[in-house]
Amino acid sequence: MAEQVTYRVSHETRYDYSRPVLTSHQLAHLAPRQTAWQRLRTHQVKIDPEPRDCSAGKDYFGNSVLSFALDMSHETLTVLAESIVEVDSQVLNQTEASVNWEVAASRPLTGTTDLEVELYRTCSPMVPFLEEARLYAKPSFQPMRPWLDAMIELTRRIRSDFVYDPKATTVTTRVEDVLKNRRGVCQDFAHLMISCLRSLGMPARYVSGYVLNLAPAGATPLVGADASHAWVAGHCPGLGWVAFDPTNGKLANLEFVTLGWGREFSDVTPLRGVVLGSAAQALTVAVRVESL
Amino acid sequence: MTATPEIGLELPQRFATYPNSFGRFDEMFASPLNPRSHWSMLFGELTKTSAGNIRERQLSAERQLRESGVTYNVYADPKGIDRPWELDVLPLIIAPSEWREIESGIIQRATLFNRILADLYGDQSLLKSSVIPASLIFGQSGFVPAAHGMAVPGGIHLHVYAADLARSPDGHWWVMADRTQSPSGAGYALENRLVVSRTFPSLFRDLRVQHLAQFFATLRNSLMHFAPKGDGPTLTVLLTPGPYNETYFEHTLLSRYLGFPLVEGGDLTVRSGKVWLKTLGGLKRVHAILRRQDDGYCDPLELRTDSALGVAGMTECARRGSVLLANAIGSGLLESDALLGFLPRLCEQLMGEPLRLPSIATWWCGEEAALTDALNHVERVVFKSADPAYSFAPIFGQDLDEAKLAKLKARLSARPERFVAQEMVRVSQAPVLGHSGSEHISAQGIGLRVFAVFSPSGYVVMPGGLTRVASSTDMRVLAMQRGGSSKDTWVLSDRPVDSSFTLLRNTVTSTDLVRSRAGVPSRIAENLFWLGRYQERCDDEARLLREALIQRLQEGEDDDNATTPLLALAKAFGIIDEEEDPYAALLSAATLENKANGLPANLRSLERIAFTLRDRMSLDYLRTLNGLIKNPAFGRAASLSKTLNWLDYTVTNMTTLSGFSLDAMTRDDGWRFLSIGRRLERLDFQCMALQIAIDRAPDTGLSWLLRLSDSIVTYQSRYLAQPEWLPVLDLLVLDGANPRSIVFQAKGITGYALKMKEQYGPFGFESFADAVRSLENITPLDLHPENQSLRETIDRLRTEAFALNDHLTQHFFNHAHSSAQATIGI
Repeated sequence: MAEQVTYRVSHETRYDYSRPVLTSHQLAHLAPRQTAWQRLRTHQVKIDPEPRDCSAGKDYFGNSVLSFALDMSHETLTVLAESIVEVDSQVLNQTEASVNWEVAASRPLTGTTDLEVELYRTCSPMVPFLEEARLYAKPSFQPMRPWLDAMIELTRRIRSDFVYDPKATTVTTRVEDVLKNRRGVCQDFAHLMISCLRSLGMPARYVSGYVLNLAPAGATPLVGADASHAWVAGHCPGLGWVAFDPTNGKLANLEFVTLGWGREFSDVTPLRGVVLGSAAQALTVAVRVESL
Repeated sequence: MTATPEIGLELPQRFATYPNSFGRFDEMFASPLNPRSHWSMLFGELTKTSAGNIRERQLSAERQLRESGVTYNVYADPKGIDRPWELDVLPLIIAPSEWREIESGIIQRATLFNRILADLYGDQSLLKSSVIPASLIFGQSGFVPAAHGMAVPGGIHLHVYAADLARSPDGHWWVMADRTQSPSGAGYALENRLVVSRTFPSLFRDLRVQHLAQFFATLRNSLMHFAPKGDGPTLTVLLTPGPYNETYFEHTLLSRYLGFPLVEGGDLTVRSGKVWLKTLGGLKRVHAILRRQDDGYCDPLELRTDSALGVAGMTECARRGSVLLANAIGSGLLESDALLGFLPRLCEQLMGEPLRLPSIATWWCGEEAALTDALNHVERVVFKSADPAYSFAPIFGQDLDEAKLAKLKARLSARPERFVAQEMVRVSQAPVLGHSGSEHISAQGIGLRVFAVFSPSGYVVMPGGLTRVASSTDMRVLAMQRGGSSKDTWVLSDRPVDSSFTLLRNTVTSTDLVRSRAGVPSRIAENLFWLGRYQERCDDEARLLREALIQRLQEGEDDDNATTPLLALAKAFGIIDEEEDPYAALLSAATLENKANGLPANLRSLERIAFTLRDRMSLDYLRTLNGLIKNPAFGRAASLSKTLNWLDYTVTNMTTLSGFSLDAMTRDDGWRFLSIGRRLERLDFQCMALQIAIDRAPDTGLSWLLRLSDSIVTYQSRYLAQPEWLPVLDLLVLDGANPRSIVFQAKGITGYALKMKEQYGPFGFESFADAVRSLENITPLDLHPENQSLRETIDRLRTEAFALNDHLTQHFFNHAHSSAQATIGI
């Protein structure tokens, strides 16, 4: 596999409103994040109708945010984000790969508290500590088992125990219900895995982004291609943050473009808004990821 | 009973049931019947005055509170949404030296809290160095990541602060809880003061009680001082969640007292990174917001996306520092009891001095040592939620049997970080008057809420506070929501008190200008407009139903042939469907609530609108309306005669309501909108009635039309004859002196509209004005049912009245009424 891939990503969101919208405030997490393994070459967002007030900044989690407002009557809103991104293959440190999971689950007792890690160890509004999630994860986390092994196993178990079913859940479905019904989409599986890990005392963050459909002819394509995707990053001392995709049951590596991360979906919702005037809206999302 | 000068005779009786303090601190008595020195004057007053007199004062205080409409709403309270505020007239008295300690402790604590907030929403060095466990903060729902790094004006997160104090048996004051988000109660303290100072006027003066007014002036001036400037005069608003909030009365009181317009989220909008108030005169920049809305509900865009309350984009404005929020978003974080145990160390570290006013001993169970400790002393502690967003009723260790204890231990070991264990305090007791009728003076447990505000010279403490009295059922719980009462708090001064300062006088002069400068919020204007429409609609409907049902009663006995036109009118009004039995439909429209367009349904709508305007409506208006809705006939099927009685009663009361809006309201823009609403509704109804009468001519008589239009008396006094078309049409169409005539409505609307056009510019009124001109061209020669231009003019007026309604909505109300919706794109 190549060491580095360059992607062109386009992500179009379109709202059709049932009645004209008079004012609209929107918040976008649509710019791929600069990281040690990912560089953003070009990025632009086209908004139609053109907003009056537009400002870019960083959120608490270090992601780029674009906020804009419209105060003219409009019946559709289109937001098109286009980026060119270079992604490096991430090599795991083999000597650290055998660190036990208990190390990841305990807070360092001395030294400065690493807030970048602790922020993701506690529960968050949509991802509570959950006894059921802990019990589900526990078999993979036997005493003294290497963290990486256990994580990969949990990732695969979620893939095989749960059915990918876009009709089963919504953006507000609770982890308890996903666990009970064994159905959902990438967001649900990510929340579930985060709940499993945090309930065992380990830090985990929600990663929003895209996955390339790299499947060779004849093979099953990865689930979540052609849409925005979500997966999980876990933290282990020595290894740092490692990303896992429970929807596809694998490590998230070269085929994944990272937009940003937070404690859960609501921290990095691609496009979130409040509109005044419309009664109902139809949402269409189109994502295209191609390697150059 | 007369006053008894000899103390010895009546005193023991009066205090016969006064409870022994049994290990509590008694605020009044140092030992039985031996008052502390700062209480001796009140004690003397109580012994000099007859029991009947004291009781009379309490009743008079309750009457005053009722009359000024002081309420405290409790959800699902049997006393209903407007529970009267409960006040015991005996004040809590605090000596000057004691108060100085409380005051300096509160100042230190507020200063400390502001620094903690600045750190937690800034560098977070307290978390990095583990002075506060990161898991404690990150796990709190009160921690708002979006509030991190905000440019809060002046570096002040905590503008207003309140602490709940209680006194332990050894006489020391302790902090039971801190209020850092949007503390309530200062307004109630003020109201208590207004009442109690009148109850004991000479005592109040002789004791040199410190006044409260200066504190509110400091609050007002400080917010103005720290607010960002620009785009016109500095405007501070009070943001309320609305009339259903439990402390809404206080919001209206403070709004009037401080001169801050009272607004809801829908009144504000964000443009170009600034917050604006939508008024009839356009957008007015808002510089500071005293908010009574919780953190999460301030902004549906960035905070709680499941709520459409609040103002979309407000967080971004706060981040840029273009608006001052009192308090800053995220400040609710410090209301968690989990932090209390860390305060002594935080105070040493951030202020370099010991904590003066300690909190009640509290352990956050998220720390293992603390949990073990708490479990070893279960019977001495009370368990509470560590997160105010997930609060549960306190669990008293001493109340638990074995099974319950085991259950608690299981919950604790599963999720220890969700609990705090707090030492139980036997709070002090203070004298209270026995329940009405009783001559005895008793005692109850009390707690004291004190308030501070940040000023250019640091924090200033209100010299007084809200004393809360435990309900008699559980002396351990102090909560107004659980049926407790309250007291005025008298902080004595050892210097003469300057009593000349009062905000009340100021509010009637200079602050009034502030209000009118801000203009009438669009939402208020829209609600007043619909209040006018519904008030008239209920009146019209009650008259129509009465007329139609009387007709039914007299069927075949008169030669008026009124049944057909009245039923046609009822159909046009939306009361009768094609398939329905008309008589049954009329009866149910008069009484049944689930009948669409029925009178009870319209009265309900009127009530809803009046409720949203309750800070602008006279109490008598609300009372009259309430009397209609609470009437036994409302919502119950009844016989014809009972129904007719109910309709008579309604018509009479609707006249009373119109009287209030005529007599008891200032002629401002809001009133003009109410009046336009009424006139438009009446114009529509009268046009409709005339259309039907003309259509049915000559088969119908005209008495019904005159009675329906409340014009029969005028007619008879003028003509002394059977109604005929020419004089009837003259009276109902062209007679400018008849308040039911079409021309009267049309000209009234024109008058108000011109006034508004003058003030706010054109708003699409011209075509209505044209229709009015064609009405003026009608001559008495046109006044017969076959006349085409009369018919066309009436049709046109109705159409234009509809159009005018739309123009007003578009131009003035904008989208004040449409609710915000959250959208999520994945």
